[in-house]
Amino acid sequence: MNMNAMLELQNVTKYYGAFKAVDEVSFSLAAGTICGFLGPNGAGKTTTLRMILDIIKPTSGTITVLGRPSALEVRHRIGYLPEEKGLYKKMKTWSVIAYFATLKGLSRKAAKQRAYELLERYGLKDFAIKPTDALSKGMGQKVQMLAAIAHDPEFVILDEPFSGLDPVNQQVMEEIIRDMTSRNRTVLFSTHVMQHAERLCDRIVLMARGKKIFDGTIPEAKRIIPRRVRIETQDDIAPVRGRSDVLSVRPVDKANGAMQTNGAAQWELQLRENADPQSILQFCFEQRIRLHSFNQSEPTLHEVFVQLVGPEAKEAGFR
Amino acid sequence: MKYTALVARREYVENARTKGFWIGLLTFPIVIFLMIQVPVWLTEKVAPIRAFVLVDESGRFEKLIESALEKAHQQRVLEALREYAARNVTRSVRSAGAKRELNLPAELDEINEQNAQALETFINHGGAENVLKQLKPWLKPGAPAFSEPRRRFVRVPLPVGIGGNEDASDGKGLSLVASAATSSSNLDLAVLGRELKPYLRGQKKVEVDGRAVELSAAILIPRDIEQKVVRPGAGSPSAQSRGPAIEYWSANVAEGGAGLKDEAERAVNGEIRRREYLARGMDAAVIREVEHTYAPFASLNPKKEAGQETVNLGDKLKQWAPSGFVYLLWVAIFSVTQMLLGNIIEEKSNRIIEVLLSSVTPGELMMGKLFGIAAVGLTLITAWMLSLFGILSWKAGGVSDVAGQLLAVLKTSNLLPLFSLYFLLGYLLYAGLILSLGSVCNTLKEAQSYMGIITMIMMVPLLTMTYIPTDPNGVVARLLSWVPIYTPFTMMNRAAADPPLIDLIGTLVLLVASTVGVLWMAGKIFRIGILRTGQPPKIVEMLRWVRG
Repeated sequence: MNMNAMLELQNVTKYYGAFKAVDEVSFSLAAGTICGFLGPNGAGKTTTLRMILDIIKPTSGTITVLGRPSALEVRHRIGYLPEEKGLYKKMKTWSVIAYFATLKGLSRKAAKQRAYELLERYGLKDFAIKPTDALSKGMGQKVQMLAAIAHDPEFVILDEPFSGLDPVNQQVMEEIIRDMTSRNRTVLFSTHVMQHAERLCDRIVLMARGKKIFDGTIPEAKRIIPRRVRIETQDDIAPVRGRSDVLSVRPVDKANGAMQTNGAAQWELQLRENADPQSILQFCFEQRIRLHSFNQSEPTLHEVFVQLVGPEAKEAGFR
Repeated sequence: MKYTALVARREYVENARTKGFWIGLLTFPIVIFLMIQVPVWLTEKVAPIRAFVLVDESGRFEKLIESALEKAHQQRVLEALREYAARNVTRSVRSAGAKRELNLPAELDEINEQNAQALETFINHGGAENVLKQLKPWLKPGAPAFSEPRRRFVRVPLPVGIGGNEDASDGKGLSLVASAATSSSNLDLAVLGRELKPYLRGQKKVEVDGRAVELSAAILIPRDIEQKVVRPGAGSPSAQSRGPAIEYWSANVAEGGAGLKDEAERAVNGEIRRREYLARGMDAAVIREVEHTYAPFASLNPKKEAGQETVNLGDKLKQWAPSGFVYLLWVAIFSVTQMLLGNIIEEKSNRIIEVLLSSVTPGELMMGKLFGIAAVGLTLITAWMLSLFGILSWKAGGVSDVAGQLLAVLKTSNLLPLFSLYFLLGYLLYAGLILSLGSVCNTLKEAQSYMGIITMIMMVPLLTMTYIPTDPNGVVARLLSWVPIYTPFTMMNRAAADPPLIDLIGTLVLLVASTVGVLWMAGKIFRIGILRTGQPPKIVEMLRWVRG
């Protein structure tokens, strides 16, 4: 076992009745990383997070958090923002934050001070003594986030922190997460919005149908699907098809307006792993294939996941 | 433990801040205050003047009825004086020995319903004025002036234009009516009764001291009353064949029974009997003595200590006070368990529960809630009891007052300790049920449909609340006592009747055992149910959780 790991899961399985919600999932997380936990709805993300927090017990497998078998033993060092956000409606904003902070071991005085500090830093000072039902949804979610991190935890677990937030507040949320990682805190957050993961994460873990289907860095993820090069030419591209590092060539759909007025066509080439797009370009020159454009594009994380998760991704509204 | 305390603290602070809590807290003292004060206000200040007309064609009973009413009024004045004296005379003077020396009127202590002599003495010695004069040196400094109770019944003359009272310029004096009644011998009572009807129905008003008031009653005595008197054995016709002799008209039956009719009837029949005695040759003085002869009758309770077996108002209060406590117990348990339900549902439907469970175990959360809300309940009933004591002590005074007697009952009985004990145990038992219910429901609406069933089951003690004191150790009471969910209420209800020790201890043991059992079960259900979403589980499924 890696002693530096903030978190370690080994063969964790969870059944709900006969339904296997989580299937033999293993991964570990080193201190200071910011990890995206991705997957379509119903993939088992929330169940896994709840098991990590020891809110529910796994059917089998072991979970080690900060070196301990139960997150409750180290609850002071963990922060958690659940997927469905809610606050005590009649409580004052500051006292909600302070209450959760005291449950995490802060003294009442320190908790109150910390609550005001955080509310001021994130522009909610005016709402400190208002009951939380006076807050807008986005503000409420920010307050909940502040409540989750008020005790400055070493390890923060965020379940869908961005859902339901407008772009400005999403920005604020990203800022809060970056603030934490800049102080060497470890963050594990689930999302199904790839842009956030792409911008924030060092690591991603992808789940689908209860199984872990990918675990690695973003560049690693992108390497999973073949690199693609898009070229536009009116010449015959048959020589390109013959190359060993080109897996396939297909015309880009004309209905998309790809057909140019000069009679040039667009083609998309899929390259073998580790192929160099530059050599394709060079080859085209050599073969006197006149290129109107040459476009080497990295696959987006989204494409990677559609590839990995399969058609189910679309059905599940996986963006 | 620390987390349990933190959860409990929040539950207490947040629930004690709600409007509902304060309304519940304040309602009780207000109700108690009003219960004591309203009858006083009603009789002393706002009771309407009950105006009545009296027409006596025979001319024989008019004065008697008036003096009977006057006596009844003086009786009330005397009672008011006793209370006034008890409240305002300095303590040392009130001690029994000093009384005679100081020449305080003996009536102050010794009057009772049967002892009409004392009342006569009181009236003959100058009534309230005389007593007050004697009391004056012994009043506490700053004692308020004595205010005489108002007369309940006021005789008014016949309304203008009715029954020979044609003279509009002079229609105010009683003398006029009396003279009119006696002089105009051809007054037809049947016609009079018909003419008075609009007044008695409230359609027309009569005037009293310049104010228009409703006429509440009319007493009509015919000239030939002598022929209508029923004399058993003398061969005279029965009451049925002759019809009623004296007509008492009133639209309000209850009001009529509240004194006027009884007083008039008693006065008239007393006089008829007195004349009958005389007519049969008996001595008036002897008759008087006979009338005032009685055997004092005392109710005794064998369960009380020797020498103090007398059943008094305190004993009656002691018999019925537990019912009051049952009601309080019910309200307290019902309202705090509602709080508990509301809190769990809020946390569950808002999913706050997940954050909580990442910080505390379900067990700590449940215990925190249980204790926090228990503290709210204890605050509530403590405030109730303190305000009850406060109001009773404030209103206590006088010899016959309910407040003082009730206070004495509370101080000397075990009602209060039992109330606290049964509140705690009853609360914990019901809280266990509510916690299980709340943890498996997702919305308040869903929970309330199940709560209806619990409420219905809880209604039983309220239905038996007034029955049980009449038969506190009977079959129903004993049976219900052994049903744990009814034990707190039923045993509270029986508290004053010294239930058998086996009932007291046995039901308590059973109650404690079932409370522990229910809480243990609730713990199991709570742990699983609290994170569940979607349809509430089936009973079978919940049983599996309990076993698992």
